[in-house]
Amino acid sequence: MRLTYRAVLVALFVLALAVAACAQTPAAPSGGAQASAPTTASGSAQSSAPTAASSGAAAPKEAAKAAAPQKGGTLTIGLDSEPPTLDPHASPSAVSFYITNQACESLLYLDENRQLKPWLAESWDVSDGGKTFTFKLRKDVKFQDGTPFNAQAVKWNLDRIVNPNYKAGSALTYLTGFDKAEVVDDNTIKISFKNPYAPFLTNAAGGPLAMISPTGTPKQGDQVNKTPICTGPYKIDEWVAKDHATLSRWDDYNRQLPYASQSGPGFADKIVFKFVPENGTRMAAAESGEIQVAAAVPSQDLPRFESNSAYTVVKKPWVGTPRYWALNVTKPPTDDVKVRQAINYAVDKDAILNTLYKGIGTKGFAPLAASMMDDPTLRAYYPYNVDKAKQLLDEAGWKPGADGVRVKNGQRLEILLNDIDQGSGPQQIDVLLQGQLRNIGADVKLKTQARAPWYEDNYRCATNGPVLFLRSGDPDALTSLFASANVGSNFNFTCLKDPEIDKMLDQGRAESDPTKRKDIYMTLQKKLLDGAYMVPLADELSVWAEGQGVSGLAFDGFTYPIVTRMAGAK
Amino acid sequence: MYAYLSRRLLATIPVLFAVLLLVFSMLHLVPGDPVKLMLSEFQTSPEQIALLRSQLHFDDPLPVQFGRYVVNALHGDLGYSIRSKRPVTTEIAENLPSTLQLAVAGLFVAILVGVVLGIISAVKHHTWFDAGAMSIALLGVSMPSFWLGLLLIFLFSLRFRLFPATGGGDWQHLVLPALTLGLASAAIVARLTRSSMLEVMGREYITTARAKGVKEHSVILGHGLRNALIPLITIIGLQFGQLLAGAVIVETVFSRPGIGRLIVDAILNKDFPVVQGVVLVVATSYVVVNLLVDLVYGVADPRIRHG
Repeated sequence: MRLTYRAVLVALFVLALAVAACAQTPAAPSGGAQASAPTTASGSAQSSAPTAASSGAAAPKEAAKAAAPQKGGTLTIGLDSEPPTLDPHASPSAVSFYITNQACESLLYLDENRQLKPWLAESWDVSDGGKTFTFKLRKDVKFQDGTPFNAQAVKWNLDRIVNPNYKAGSALTYLTGFDKAEVVDDNTIKISFKNPYAPFLTNAAGGPLAMISPTGTPKQGDQVNKTPICTGPYKIDEWVAKDHATLSRWDDYNRQLPYASQSGPGFADKIVFKFVPENGTRMAAAESGEIQVAAAVPSQDLPRFESNSAYTVVKKPWVGTPRYWALNVTKPPTDDVKVRQAINYAVDKDAILNTLYKGIGTKGFAPLAASMMDDPTLRAYYPYNVDKAKQLLDEAGWKPGADGVRVKNGQRLEILLNDIDQGSGPQQIDVLLQGQLRNIGADVKLKTQARAPWYEDNYRCATNGPVLFLRSGDPDALTSLFASANVGSNFNFTCLKDPEIDKMLDQGRAESDPTKRKDIYMTLQKKLLDGAYMVPLADELSVWAEGQGVSGLAFDGFTYPIVTRMAGAK
Repeated sequence: MYAYLSRRLLATIPVLFAVLLLVFSMLHLVPGDPVKLMLSEFQTSPEQIALLRSQLHFDDPLPVQFGRYVVNALHGDLGYSIRSKRPVTTEIAENLPSTLQLAVAGLFVAILVGVVLGIISAVKHHTWFDAGAMSIALLGVSMPSFWLGLLLIFLFSLRFRLFPATGGGDWQHLVLPALTLGLASAAIVARLTRSSMLEVMGREYITTARAKGVKEHSVILGHGLRNALIPLITIIGLQFGQLLAGAVIVETVFSRPGIGRLIVDAILNKDFPVVQGVVLVVATSYVVVNLLVDLVYGVADPRIRHG
């Protein structure tokens, strides 16, 4: 073959083009940003919002910044996943509420400081020892199909969720122990539970308990999954599967939204949510102007967007738990509290934040994320201290062995970490933990497996524990993670069965006084840290980019975005 | 011909039955309790698990379950999606047109680029064009499509702002995904066309045609390509299956609706009925395409008769 220099030049040019583009092409997501556990919101309450944003995180933009934006235009937002349904009562996924929260309203509103505010209800009252909640409803509310909103409508909504023939999502969990809803008069509804259930107040502010039209919905049939009829400032016009959902401003909306500074409808004419799961594509679409707001900015794209003056990066701490390593208390060697404590001292969280998170996380230190509850005494637990870790292992009888791994009674100090493979091999954070614990003479083995057997091993307490997190607006999330009843199901993967902790969890669930409730969870968290049942790793941030001339992205107390006060691109 | 067709159609029945059996056993081969796994993202009570188990008839013996699945599938009922709670057939019907559009456009790119490059390479054998084209083809075969997709987005969406990076819709949205999907196949088609053409162009009837004074382009297209088509049709048929498989990645990269993304999302969410349904549909279309390819042989080469 006569291979002339021109052919070589052509080939080289093509190759050079490819390499140059590659260097700037956003790469795949890092392990640190991937979900290894479901983002179920369990409950939500805590009206006394004790905490501000966690340290280190860039201050989130305030809604007030959007004081006088221009109205109109189309606002296009790129989301990293697609909702399974837009029926607020049926969805178990956070991403559904990213969309429905712009169009639908709940009885209460949880603001970004985690304070409860009136929304469809003007006021509320807790009685019967925390079992009964009475809401006074606004009289000037209509659904988008013209149906009046009243106590009958609320009852219809709640009865719909608890109907055994209806496949409800998070909404059903939000009504744990629901007894009945009674119409007192046209504008008063009384909701009773079988047991005291303090998280219900925050649940009532959540997207899953949004109100949909009692007359329009039955006529809709399956269409409620795509275009639910709500009371909010936007109407959901269409949802094209795997592509986008379009909302248009409902100009009849004349009330003042609980987060808005004046009354009236939304700002943008239209809001389009595009579903762009591939990180590289989503960020490229943001840079090209196809979308103005991008969800879930991956860590490797962060510096580029932060240094670009055309964009603002908005970071908001997630509510719920940090990403943490649940330590199985039933399987040696993590059945020994000294070993668990040693692991806690030996994990270098700063190294994890610097290498994996790179700006999309802050240090985790307690069972609940700092956005839920922050306290110096909690932060003081388990600083990085390898010597202390080694000393604890010595005390526990684990002596350095020949190959650097500690030994006790002929057994090597092996810890089996249940590692989920999402399609790209072991989680990077698990590999880091493996390396870090090597420093104290522990041999961490990764059991890397697909999601299904990963869950199964967690249910059977078959490993020394997985790394996971739980997003939740209420500290009652700890019930899912530590109550004996949830061993073998979701999500007590520590396999801990401690009657005292169960009792405290029940107290926290029953106490409706915010201050007392906070004290309960404070004591509980200390107890959980003393027992070293888990290793808090990182409080994760919800990271967004807004640009191309639009601004004003805000968040509610569930770390869900609010975009009704943003104007669109012209 | 009709006898052949009906025989071939009959032969697809055991194939599809085997596919059904495989797809059905997928769910039961996965370790763990399928019901618990389906519900793993929800917080559930034992009663809810029991309810779903009975709704899905998981209490019945496996053969009974399989029988029911086959009967339902024959009636066009593939069950309900766990995640969206909508019928699987509806989900597939919503997403299939977009994937077919993509696959056909990708095939168009593959044939157009592949055949043209292949013919020119063969005719201009041993020139820099041949070397360049085959280098590009080599690059095309070796280049992972997700990477090529991101590259095209970078160039044509971000730099030149010519085509949108995401979504379905009008033809502009189809250009980049179709290129991404088609180029890898184009490379294979080009290499095959070239070698096939080289072989044919060396035959005596080509020399005869030229000796008779037939114009060179008629020699190439009429005598050369026509005879080089059979292996090409085979490979294009196989490539169509590749294109369906490639759609999984391309649809994810470009955020296009389609059954590729449907099945990826379904796998990630353990939505078994949807996975089963999509696999069944893809397997069926593969069988159908192969049948079509065999029928086209007869058209391309009258010597092949189906009797």
